[in-house]
Amino acid sequence: MMHSSRLTRRSVIKGGLGLALATTALTTLGLPMPARAAGKKVIIGAFADGGLTPFKQKIIPLAKEQGFDIEFLEDEYGVTLEKWFADAQSGAGQYDLYLLDDPWVPQFGAANVLEDLGAGGIDGADKDWIGSMIDMGYWPPQQGPRVKGFESAKSTLICVPFVGDLQTLTYRNDVFTGGAPKTWDEVIAKGKEGVAAGKIKYPVVFRGVSGNPIVTSWYPVFLSFGGSFFDDKWNPIFNSAEGKASADFFVGTMKQNAPSGVVEFDSDQEGAAILGGEAGAIIQYSGNALKADDPAQTKVAGKLDFGVVPSQAKAIAQMGIFIAGVPKAAPNKANAIEFLKWYVSAETQAKLSEAGSIPVKRSAFGIAKPGNRLIPVALKQLDAGALPRPRTPDWAKVEELLGIELNKALQAGSGGGAALDTAAKQVKDYLTTAGYY
Amino acid sequence: MQGAAQARKYRLQGAGLDLALPYLMLAPGLMIVLGVLVYPLWDGLRASTRAYRYGSPISDVGLQNYVHLWSDTQFLNALWITVKFVALSVSFEAVLGFALALFCLREFRGIRLLRTVLIIPMVITPVVVAIVFRLIYASDAGMLTALSEAIGGGEAQILGNPLNAFIGLVVLDVWEWTPLMFLILLAGLQSLPHEPFEAARVDGAGAWRVFADLTFPMMRPVLAVAIVLRTIDAFGTFDQVFVLTRGGPGEATRLISIYGYDTAFKFQQTGYAAALFVTIGLVVLALAFSAIRLLRRIDAS
Repeated sequence: MMHSSRLTRRSVIKGGLGLALATTALTTLGLPMPARAAGKKVIIGAFADGGLTPFKQKIIPLAKEQGFDIEFLEDEYGVTLEKWFADAQSGAGQYDLYLLDDPWVPQFGAANVLEDLGAGGIDGADKDWIGSMIDMGYWPPQQGPRVKGFESAKSTLICVPFVGDLQTLTYRNDVFTGGAPKTWDEVIAKGKEGVAAGKIKYPVVFRGVSGNPIVTSWYPVFLSFGGSFFDDKWNPIFNSAEGKASADFFVGTMKQNAPSGVVEFDSDQEGAAILGGEAGAIIQYSGNALKADDPAQTKVAGKLDFGVVPSQAKAIAQMGIFIAGVPKAAPNKANAIEFLKWYVSAETQAKLSEAGSIPVKRSAFGIAKPGNRLIPVALKQLDAGALPRPRTPDWAKVEELLGIELNKALQAGSGGGAALDTAAKQVKDYLTTAGYY
Repeated sequence: MQGAAQARKYRLQGAGLDLALPYLMLAPGLMIVLGVLVYPLWDGLRASTRAYRYGSPISDVGLQNYVHLWSDTQFLNALWITVKFVALSVSFEAVLGFALALFCLREFRGIRLLRTVLIIPMVITPVVVAIVFRLIYASDAGMLTALSEAIGGGEAQILGNPLNAFIGLVVLDVWEWTPLMFLILLAGLQSLPHEPFEAARVDGAGAWRVFADLTFPMMRPVLAVAIVLRTIDAFGTFDQVFVLTRGGPGEATRLISIYGYDTAFKFQQTGYAAALFVTIGLVVLALAFSAIRLLRRIDAS
């Protein structure tokens, strides 16, 4: 039996024409259209990180109200750099926006695969930016040493800061009763008292996995001991006396006061230790810190406070901002730039701060009700000192070489200084073959 | 002159067309083979003779990338770890697979179910297997630690200790791929002729004698094929290590595939990585050819 209202080619064409006519009529009459109809599609590629939770939960809906059709694609951190770099270089055009980790900017910049956002109308000179954050969006860097081949190149804004992530201290306020520990020695001494009192199992916990994780954990210790990574000619100087002291402290004292399996710890185990109430103090980015007051995510809600990173010589944290770049092959390039302009406006940044995420504009730190206790501490840390990782496209390899040696020393529980000597030689050899000198 | 033109026309319409037709029909297939097999191989070979900077080729360097490999301690270390991993894993898999195949050759109640269960690890995605083993090995909340603590021991340190992590990786591989050996060897055993075994039984030969004098010699070609297949496959192990250890601790489980991946995609040394993979490809090819020659000699004897 034939159905009387079956779909024919004629009926489809009729329907399509009718729809087109109705849309045109509505637009002409000035009647409001649903947001999606504006068609401002933006495909965002991001790596999974708790630091983006407020953006996903609060800012994407706001963006939709503005007519943006956001497609948010997440991947595991370990594969995003290679995936996006291949996408940008091949011109595949799968994304409109990458939310990069800031040390990746030089690699994308050197390969010349990202749009000039300054030319797109984003004002890098706006005084409201946190200066150290917007600086990271330029390639080649506006200040500091430049790698060979880019000495005289014009500095261009290829990325804009997206979430102002940086390391701060999270500590147990029932262990460190006098407020945030000021030095690393205090972290260990008071932490041991906390262990003796049965409040915690370990004074400290950190990431020990070879490569990026262990270097990320060691870096604030290294900076706080007064170390510098390269000189202004790209010679490795991280194996200075200060650097070696920091590495010995890290693989020795810190390991002895951390869980026995810390060699294999990455951010998930590190976060579990502090949120599960086992550890006394931790240096971490905002991802896990944002969970500190949520009883559903931590066993010690109300017992976790934040402070600037401990100092030995000075209290300097490592920056680790999410930073947005638009690939030259982006299918919706204009939409992506328009979205970024809206996102970095003082108004939207204030909303981001209200949502609990660390903003990238100074005015947003000063709002009446920031959505998270971490936000004022982050500003305090920025003012105390926070540095990006060295701005070279070869950072991934440098970090790998150093991370392997540090991890070996951590396994042994000693020999941090010797590990730095070995790594410094390997880094120097590598950069020599890469034409740095 | 006119005769020659006539002849050409005849060739094209008759016998000539007959000659050309097979090639015309092969053409689409050949094009596909050229596109998906030959071109990528050629492109890889070409890349291996170039120096890249920030992901783009900057100069031709001839065989320099290949030469540099042999003074690269990280490459040599990764190669050595891979050889040890392949040798250990495949040996265990062969022995266990053979033992299981011999056991499952018997007919008893539940044997079909057992055979099915035994091949389950092989059909699970390698990434999932790695995640499961990570949950077993993790020192803080892993199953081994829970077991150890239940019997009064401390945390099980698998992934943070170089030797344990390497052994842990071999155990994972053996668990996942012994079923492949089992399947091939079981098929081989089932295809052996019955007569020699019946004759041996009539002669009163014991189980060990039958195995040593009949089963093993007759199964040698099948065993060799299984070992060659698995060896080639094991050289390319990647997913499990990527998820489980990422090559660590230190460089203890950094197989050549992980080093090559990092070199190509993380460090953007495309040409060098291409040279590395071409070299490993040649090593595996050499292994395969040697194994095939060995098989022929076994067959001949």
